[in-house]
Amino acid sequence: MRTLAAATLAGLLFGAVPAIAHHSFAAEYDANKPIKLTGTVSKIEWTNPHCYFYIDVKNADGKVDTWALELGNPNALLRNGWTPNSVKIGDEVTVEGTRAKDGTNLGNARTMILASTGRRLFAGSSQTTNP
Amino acid sequence: MIKQRGAAIVGVFVLALSAHVFGQWITYPTPNVPRLPDGQPNLKAPAPRQADGKPDFIGFWQPDRQRECTPDLASRVRLAQPCEPGKTVMVQNGPASVPGGLPLQPWAAELAKKRAAELSKDDPHPRCQPDNYPRVYWLPHFTKMFFVPGELLMLNEWNAEFRQVYTDGRSFPEFMHPIYSGYSIGKWDGDTFVVTTKGFRDDQWLDTPGNPITDAATTTERITRPNFGTLNIQVTVDDPKAYTKPFTIDMNMKIMIDTQMIEEFCLENERDSARLSAPTGGK
Repeated sequence: MRTLAAATLAGLLFGAVPAIAHHSFAAEYDANKPIKLTGTVSKIEWTNPHCYFYIDVKNADGKVDTWALELGNPNALLRNGWTPNSVKIGDEVTVEGTRAKDGTNLGNARTMILASTGRRLFAGSSQTTNP
Repeated sequence: MIKQRGAAIVGVFVLALSAHVFGQWITYPTPNVPRLPDGQPNLKAPAPRQADGKPDFIGFWQPDRQRECTPDLASRVRLAQPCEPGKTVMVQNGPASVPGGLPLQPWAAELAKKRAAELSKDDPHPRCQPDNYPRVYWLPHFTKMFFVPGELLMLNEWNAEFRQVYTDGRSFPEFMHPIYSGYSIGKWDGDTFVVTTKGFRDDQWLDTPGNPITDAATTTERITRPNFGTLNIQVTVDDPKAYTKPFTIDMNMKIMIDTQMIEEFCLENERDSARLSAPTGGK
């Protein structure tokens, strides 16, 4: 069962409960700036209207940048298969998403892959449902 | 056990998870769901009925953009992809689904154009302002409905919003101080529940692109439950201040099974509004 969850969770659930289109995506994020970040989770805000995961990412200079990643709201994540323990502080994750228009280290996450298990979690991005 | 429970959620949302998750109320099993012989929910089963024989709308509902491709669908709903008879098709959402577009008055068209050009940065919804029914129907925040004596109640997770549709025979009040979702009266027309609403606040957003709804609006909703898993809602908006003629939004809602309402207060940690900007960078 866990294998099934790891392999297909995002695909199964993506069309089932709609991503939370809380706001106009294009007013905050730049669809032409895709990001793929790998780092360590340093802080989690399990809050409405969006959850935020902060990850520390080593940059090209060897220094650490902290990125804030916006996900769906807690209800959306829970209904899409998350539990509060799905990703914990200290976990290594790879996040795919879109960078904020303002160029800060803020991104809208589409998927989050947990390095320890390879589990791919749908992140509740609003990109697919809102202009 | 897990396989059986997962099947119970098919068609609504599928949770391929460990049993641990089902200890949460948000994934608590829904009682009285009709089942197929294999245990899966029978979403095509007849709609439940109230004690007086009228359809019961009890359930937790989310917008459903997948429609059966019937010959007349395109005349009622704008499609998002080619329609193949006998299959389902994705349709547009909310006011964007009105065939031919919305009949906006010139000033309203200008306003909607400006809001679209600004990428809806001033939308009250992400600023945690209250929404209105009917807009709530096509937002991805979910509504629980149930009849109680004298009214149909709608509860929405988002900001704990509620709506009362009175069925006790009352008339509209003489003075209706404007409110977000107006004042609603419901009557049965056969198996169709007809809701008339007046008394909206002025200058609200009808959708994310920014089409308006004003205090001159009267909406008429014709709600049916064709089967256990589906509500069909046809919302006619008659708002002569903003539109040159009435128009009708025809949409489906699908039931959510094995979950329940959990509060979802926008102001808890709202950060988007300060970052929303138009293409020019204007806030």
